[in-house]
Amino acid sequence: MSVEDEKIEKARSPFSEAFEMFRRNHAAVAGLIMLILIILAGIFGPMVYAGDPFEMVWAPFSPPGQEGYLLGTDYLGRDLVSMLLHGARVSIAIGLSAALITVLIGITVGAVAGFYGGLVEEALMRFTEFFQVLPTLLFSMVIVALFGASLPMITFAIGVVSWPAVARITRAEFLRIRELEYVTASRASGVSNGKLIFGVILPNALPPIIVQAALMVGSAILFEAGLSFLGLTDPNVVSWGQIIGSNRQYILDASYTVTIPGVAIFVTVLAISLVGDGLNDALNPKLRQR
Amino acid sequence: MKDELLLKVDNLSVRFAVKRGGGWRKKSYLYAVDDVSFEVERGKTLAIVGESGSGKTTTALAVARLVPAFQGSVDLEGEDFLTLEGDKLRQARAKVQFIFQDPYSSLNPRLRAEAIVREPLDSLGLAEVDEKRAIVDRLFKAVGLRPEQQRLFPHQFSGGQRQRIGIARALATQPELIICDEPVSALDVAVQAQILNLLRRLQEEFSLTYLFISHDLGVVQHMCDSIAVMYMGKIVEQADRLSLFNNPLHPYTVALLSAVPSVDKKRRKATRRVLIPGDPPDPVDPPAGCRFANRCPVAQPRCSESEPPLRDVKGGHRVACHLVDESAKSPMS
Repeated sequence: MSVEDEKIEKARSPFSEAFEMFRRNHAAVAGLIMLILIILAGIFGPMVYAGDPFEMVWAPFSPPGQEGYLLGTDYLGRDLVSMLLHGARVSIAIGLSAALITVLIGITVGAVAGFYGGLVEEALMRFTEFFQVLPTLLFSMVIVALFGASLPMITFAIGVVSWPAVARITRAEFLRIRELEYVTASRASGVSNGKLIFGVILPNALPPIIVQAALMVGSAILFEAGLSFLGLTDPNVVSWGQIIGSNRQYILDASYTVTIPGVAIFVTVLAISLVGDGLNDALNPKLRQR
Repeated sequence: MKDELLLKVDNLSVRFAVKRGGGWRKKSYLYAVDDVSFEVERGKTLAIVGESGSGKTTTALAVARLVPAFQGSVDLEGEDFLTLEGDKLRQARAKVQFIFQDPYSSLNPRLRAEAIVREPLDSLGLAEVDEKRAIVDRLFKAVGLRPEQQRLFPHQFSGGQRQRIGIARALATQPELIICDEPVSALDVAVQAQILNLLRRLQEEFSLTYLFISHDLGVVQHMCDSIAVMYMGKIVEQADRLSLFNNPLHPYTVALLSAVPSVDKKRRKATRRVLIPGDPPDPVDPPAGCRFANRCPVAQPRCSESEPPLRDVKGGHRVACHLVDESAKSPMS
């Protein structure tokens, strides 16, 4: 009886169990702490470390550590610390919102295709494949070049080229789950199609989608860096990729101007990947109790 | 109240399109259920038995509108369940509930037990919010679960307990008909008996009507009033329980019954083990005559030429076999 009572006491939801799993994964927790620090730096850094990142504050190409400028200055004599902090905001914001766009489009297309099947699925998946076979960087460059290099447009471009992966995962999960008996049971209970898709199947399909979304944030940051490196960025806004892009001519003379933002991108994407892997292990029941 | 007809299924067929080979070849169809008719009286249990692939589960799913029927009608209290659409269909689903085979996949792992049982009430708007609690409490009690177990998630229950949750869910809408699709075949023997007893007790308590699908004649023997035997999508024999068990007519039924282990000495002596060789023929392209002819130990040439109709041979005992005549003697004896 007491064992039974204890079980009831610990009547935890599958998600809280996943959280417990995640907490025990040291690498993932380390990644999460790094990520939180980076996000906090992005939010509060520019307030604490005041100053316009575009302002020339010191002689150009002064290496890190001189005259109180911790990370030195770039080719226009701008303070790299200030640029890095402002850039964190932009890079992470773009990463998150591009991932959000990706997930929204991907889930909608994948869920409808996987749930209804037949011609609907056929049409939607051909549509998805059309996006998937386009070279992603080139396609997003075309969008940005055509519609202007504003931040929302860059975010949109990244989202539009990367949703097919989420759509395919969602569809695959829907195809699997819709055949399970509890979905049939819900249908027999008179649950409507909309509720079946979003209330019954989607919550059970979420784990791999969450993992994919987390990794998507990382790849969106890389994507933005790639676009800014090629100069397809809003020149009035600092982002990490843009710092690298604008300093790339001086890579041999002042390598730190490129290295420092590069390391920032590397560390952020690494942290996101660790968190993503941790989520994967925590949410994938087959790996539990390993 | 007695002998009142609840469910009347007429000429029900379910077919699935199958792609054979590649290219642009014509689609062919697999008739999982082929022209099946049966009736169930209120408060009674009809069992449908047959081997895997015989179409018994598909029949059950089609009756409950969970797979689309190709043709036929499912008359429930004078209304054709198959022609309902949209909201009317959703509301009518309250009358037909389903108990599933696999208690491990029939409960949504994200919901607490209480929410699973409440789902039909929620989606059909059958009760006021404050009534729902009381209803769920009563259902938990009726199926032998403790009230504090309502907070648990499916993975915290054993197989038998999960099946009890499934039964409570099926009872929630106070259905006219409960379709039990092999409700105990995934459970071990001791638990099987508990669940079967529970189903029988509930039938008495709430005067339920069951359509009971099973491959296990031993289980069926304890549960049903009448039995329909299916083979390759067709009913080959249909009778009340006693006639079928004491006087099986169709060679396939005879073979099935001989496979039921029995401690009854008389019966054990009477039935020698009948082995049927081979496999069922290709269901996409069934043979012209009797579908059992290629495995039947007493088959004659005419069996592969024309298909025997299902006909009444003796007071409601119906069989589809050329070799059974009016004397209602099995060709196997």
